[in-house]
Order: sequence, then C-alpha cells, then structure tokens
Amino acid sequence: MKKKILAVALCLVMVLTMFAGCGSKDATTGGDTITTFNVGFDAEYPPFGYMDDNGDYTGFDLEVAQAVCDLEGWELIKTPINWDAKDQELNSGAIDCIWNGFTINGREDSYTWSVPYCDNSQVVVVAEGAGIATLADLAGKKVGVQAASAALSVLTDEEAQKELGDSFGELAQFGDYNAAFAELAAGALDALAIDIGVAKYQLNSRGEGFVILDEHLNAEQYGVGFKLGNEELRDIINADLEKLYADGTITALAEKYEIADMIILGA
Amino acid sequence: MSIMVMLKLLSAGMLKSISIFAFTLILSIPLGMLVAFGRMSKNKVISNIIKIYISIMRGTPLMLQLLVVYFGPNLLFGMNIAGYKYPAIIIGFAINYAAYFAEIFRSGIQSMPQGQYEAADVLGYSKRQTFMKIILPQVAKRVLPPVTNETITLVKDTSLAYALSYTEMFTLAKQIAAAQTTFAPLFIGGIFYYVFNFVVAEVMNFIERKMDYYK
Amino acid sequence: MSVLEMKNIKKSFGDLEVLKDISFSVDEGQVVSIIGPSGSGKSTILRCATMLETINGGEFSYLGRKAAWEENGQVVYAPKDQLREIKKDFGLVFQNFNLFPHYSVIKNLTDAPINVQKRNKDEVYAEAKELLIKMGLEDKADVYPYQLSGGQQQRVAIARALALKPKMLFFDEPTSALDPELTGEVLKVIKSLTEMKMTMAIVTHEMKFAHDISDRMIFMDGGYIVENCTPDEMFNSTNERLRAFLGKLEGGY
Repeated sequence: MKKKILAVALCLVMVLTMFAGCGSKDATTGGDTITTFNVGFDAEYPPFGYMDDNGDYTGFDLEVAQAVCDLEGWELIKTPINWDAKDQELNSGAIDCIWNGFTINGREDSYTWSVPYCDNSQVVVVAEGAGIATLADLAGKKVGVQAASAALSVLTDEEAQKELGDSFGELAQFGDYNAAFAELAAGALDALAIDIGVAKYQLNSRGEGFVILDEHLNAEQYGVGFKLGNEELRDIINADLEKLYADGTITALAEKYEIADMIILGA
Repeated sequence: MSIMVMLKLLSAGMLKSISIFAFTLILSIPLGMLVAFGRMSKNKVISNIIKIYISIMRGTPLMLQLLVVYFGPNLLFGMNIAGYKYPAIIIGFAINYAAYFAEIFRSGIQSMPQGQYEAADVLGYSKRQTFMKIILPQVAKRVLPPVTNETITLVKDTSLAYALSYTEMFTLAKQIAAAQTTFAPLFIGGIFYYVFNFVVAEVMNFIERKMDYYK
Repeated sequence: MSVLEMKNIKKSFGDLEVLKDISFSVDEGQVVSIIGPSGSGKSTILRCATMLETINGGEFSYLGRKAAWEENGQVVYAPKDQLREIKKDFGLVFQNFNLFPHYSVIKNLTDAPINVQKRNKDEVYAEAKELLIKMGLEDKADVYPYQLSGGQQQRVAIARALALKPKMLFFDEPTSALDPELTGEVLKVIKSLTEMKMTMAIVTHEMKFAHDISDRMIFMDGGYIVENCTPDEMFNSTNERLRAFLGKLEGGY
C-alpha cells in the first residue's frame, strides 16, 4: 500500500516537473536581457484584441505591441486571459502587462501605467426605434454592462455616473458581447453601456438595427498596465510608443482599425 | 472567417480538450482508488482528512478550484506561474474527479458481499490476491455505469478550462464568436462535444458488454 | 490423532457472549454433526475454527499444531506463515456457496490450487475435471455460476474446497439456502465423501441426514455444548432441552 502511494506521488511529481519544464522563462523586471514580451489580453475584445479570420490573434493593441517588439528585438507572446483574473495573471508574473483597451480612469493607483494612447468613451447602444435618445430616457430601463468592465465602474462610482446608474431599472452584468447583443435585439435588455471602440466594431459587423446615443457616459483613456513598480519596462514602452507615433506606424494602424479619431499620442 | 478555417481552429481546440480529458482520466482513476482506500482507512486521522478533501471537492465549483490551483502557488508562496496553466488545469481536474471517482469506488467496494472475502480467505488467498483477483474485477463491473456517467460529464466539463483562458475548444469558440459577432462557433462546438461524447459512450458500452459474461 | 481440537473456546460480540466454554475434537476420518437452535452458537464455532472470527479465550489446534492459545489471559494466534500452513488443513463450504461469479466453474476450482498452492497447472486441471465428474457436473466446466441451480452451485463449492486437498472439511448449513427439492443432491454428495473417509464437521438442520452419516453429534444451546455423543444416544437422550429442540424439528426428522 505504501509503495503504491509512493509510486503515484512520484508519477505526479514527474508530470509536474515535465510540464514546468515547458514553461517559458520570460524576463520581466530588472531585465538585463529581455527576450520575450508577454502581453495579456482579452481575446473577445475586438478591435483591440481578438481572433482574425485566419484564427490568429490580432487587433490594434496587439499590432502596436508587435511593432514595439520589432523595435526592441523581442519576441511577442500573446496570452489570452480571462478578464476577471487579469490581476492574478499580472501579479503572478504569468504576463508582463495588460494591453487591451485597458481603461486607466479609476485604476490609476492599481497599476504602473504607460502614457495614455487612446481616448475612449463609454457610450450607450440601443436598438433602433426603441424610443431612447438621451441618457435621461434610460430611467427605469434594463441596462447591460460587461462584468469587471470600465463601464461598470463608471456607473457605480460616486464621482462618475452613479446617479445615472441608480436611475436604471436594473444594471445587468453580462459575460460576452454576443450574448449581450442577442439580448438587446430580443428586447431582454433595453441598452448596453460599452466602450466606444467596441460599440463601433459591433455595429459595423452587425449592420442595421442598433444606434449609439450621441450623449456619452464619460471620457476616459486607455493605457498599457504594468505590475505596480515595474517602471523600467514601462519607460521602454513609453519611449517606443512615442517613436512609433512619430514615424506614423500608430496612425496607420489606427486607420486600419477605424479608431483614428481616438488616438491621443503626440498631443 | 471561412467555415474551413473555423473548423480547423476548433479541431485544434478539440485536441486540447481531448488531452485534458485523457490526462484527467489517467490520473484521477488511480488517484480516486487511493482516495477511496484512504476514505475507508481504519486510521481515523487519514479517513477524516480524506472526508474533508472529498467534501470540499464535491462542495465547491470546479471553476473556483481551477482558479485556486492555478493562482494559489503565487498568492500563497509568491511563485512565478508562467507556463503553469496547462499543468494547473490537469491537476485541478484530476483532484476534483478523483474525489468523485473515490466515492464511486468506495460504494462499489463496500457493496461487495462479505462472503467473497471469506471464501477467498478460507481458500488461502492473500489480502492482495483477494483484492486484485476476486474483489477488483467484480467492483469494476459494478462501478462501470456511474463511471461512464462521470466520464461523459468530464467531456463537457473540460470547457471549464475557459476560466483560465486556456484555449481549448470552448474558449476558442467563444473567441471566434466574439470576433465574428455570431453564435455559430458555439453551435459547432456543441456538435464537437456531442460527437466526442458519442464515441466515449460507445467505448464504455463496448466495455460494459465485454463484462457482461457473468451476472 | 485429532485433526481438530478445540479447548475452552470463548467468543463474544461486544457484550453478547456467544460461545461460553466450548471443547470438542474431531478425529481423523470422523464425521461430526453440530445441531442446535438458532443463536446457540453452532455457526460461530465453525467460523472460529476456520479463523473467520477470532476467539476471545481458549485454544485450538490442527493435527497437533496450535493455531491460537492463551498467554497471560490474552489469546495469541500463531505467526502468519504458520497460520497459512495450518489453513491448508481445512476447507469450508458456506451456506450461500460464495462462488466467485466472475470465474467459470473450472476456474473456481483451479484458481486457488494454481495461484495459492502454486501447483502444476495441467495436474490441477486434470484433478478438477475428475472432481466435476464426481459431482455430476462434468458438462458444466465452462459455464458461470449464475447459469447453475442452487444445488449445482453448492456442489461446485464443495468441489472447490476439495480441490485444495484439505485434511478436513467444514459445512456451514450447506442446504439451508436451497429449495427442498435441491437439498437431496447436495446431501448425496456429502454422503459420498464419508465413503472416502473425509474428516468433516457439519452444522445442519437435516436431522435424519445427520443421524445417518455422523460418527458423533454435538447439540449446542446457549453457548454451551449440551450433548456430545453418538447419533443413537442423541436421539434417545432424555435431556429436556434436546427433546424440546428435536420435538420442534419433528417435520425434519
């Protein structure tokens, strides 16, 4: 019996070490020799990070990250993460940064931030002809918002739009945009509060049937989030972002993803 | 995205799902056997520890357990967990399923009539021979239906690796669905799971028939 | 020499004293029947002798080799390897047969001789086939127990015990689980064993059968041996408890 337990324990240890050996050794802080750059992103967040028609991960943020790596001679590792677990992924060292339409506002003290590179607003999407034209019309309505998203914090933050949020009949959290838009189309939700970039992508892709309210919930900015204190890596990325903006790379990419009017670098 | 690309991507994801499934089974069945022995141990300390373990594994969501197994080493010991995602998933699934299998094995072993042990004892079989030759083969037949149930559940549960964004079939289907703004990949994913489970059910059925030579 | 010798055996389950002070012996070639009302301890004495239960007092031995004895008021059993040797001396036939359902009839007979006694396979199979012929089951070698009637299963169980060539056989109510029309075939087989001079101890309710085949009969009641005598003496005894017991069983006699 004891032998059996020992044998199984040994097997487990072997399996573990085998797997652990496969783990990539990515240098992060204090990096004398950084060779890889491990970007964590939500692969269900077009146009900033998503899967393209060939099944490769792409998006505005990932292409900029690739450009940074090209400058530095690093290898880019794209690590899809579960948005709810992004802090554990970052703090445990599984990823080097969160770079994926990551809103700075409200999270200033939780991460070491790059320069803001993109102006983002939270907007409200409603079904066409639903009779909702202003934010005030949302009173008593059922509004959907993505779990752990910036829109959610805007609508629940005293200093932001909590008052508006409280006027809703219900603030319902959803997991992914497909389900949210399906609910909106079916009338289960009256409105969605989401990032403007996402809203534009969704409306482009879905065609008719939805409108974005002219009135925005707020204005906020995207940045690259690093683990608190990782200023060394942050400084490299900041310098590269300026370089890439100066040589037109970022502007070209922004146009490709139809978010050119949102870029705020070089201001 | 063309349907061919989608199928190719989902197939690659399916391979990862199958690898989670296979490793989990390979590890959790022997582990479940050990846990069952621990649960039936006359040593009160061991049997109580195992009882608590089983109760936690069955009483909390598997998704939560996966998060704990993956992030726990970092949160508790500050370990770097780069590259640990796949092993964490396998460990999480294996210790969870071992708990379920252990209870199935225990009830199977305890349902064996005492007379079988006594007959083997009087015929001179050692404890080890009695278990391996007389008890285990009969227990295997008895526990096959509940084990089949668990196995089929495991196929579907592999999709919980989504909680760690491991790109098995379901995570991929969700990502494609997000980029293409359509539910189609999820439906295709459903068909994949169904076909996989159909094969699993057939295999278990075959084994059951093989064991049907006695009653 | 006695094959089995039991002295002052005591056995309790918790507070319940089942065997209070049991002494008897079985000589080579002897057939001993043990009778008594249910709860008298007759099955327990068999289970103690075959070491399915551990005794709380007294001592017993097989062919002069002690299996258990008392030391400073505590019962000690012989070391494991000696017990293993001693266990080869006897076989036991259960009330519920306890055949191995996943083994064919022939495998039920041959597995222990081959894997426990490490005997030659061909020889074991040849002997097993002969045993099946003796039991009238020569055509059943390859079927599984569930395909057999109760009487056939019990005959297989007897053959299985005999395949290990024990010096002595115990029977624990071998026909109690059988339909009345099936008891005859089993009793016939046991009777045939007496002709081979097999040493046997049989717990049974079949009084006429016990009378016919036994050299001695033991009547147990309340954890004691009340009578230990020849069958004729048994049935002519004036002991009140014995008369009451036999009276109740009149139908069986």
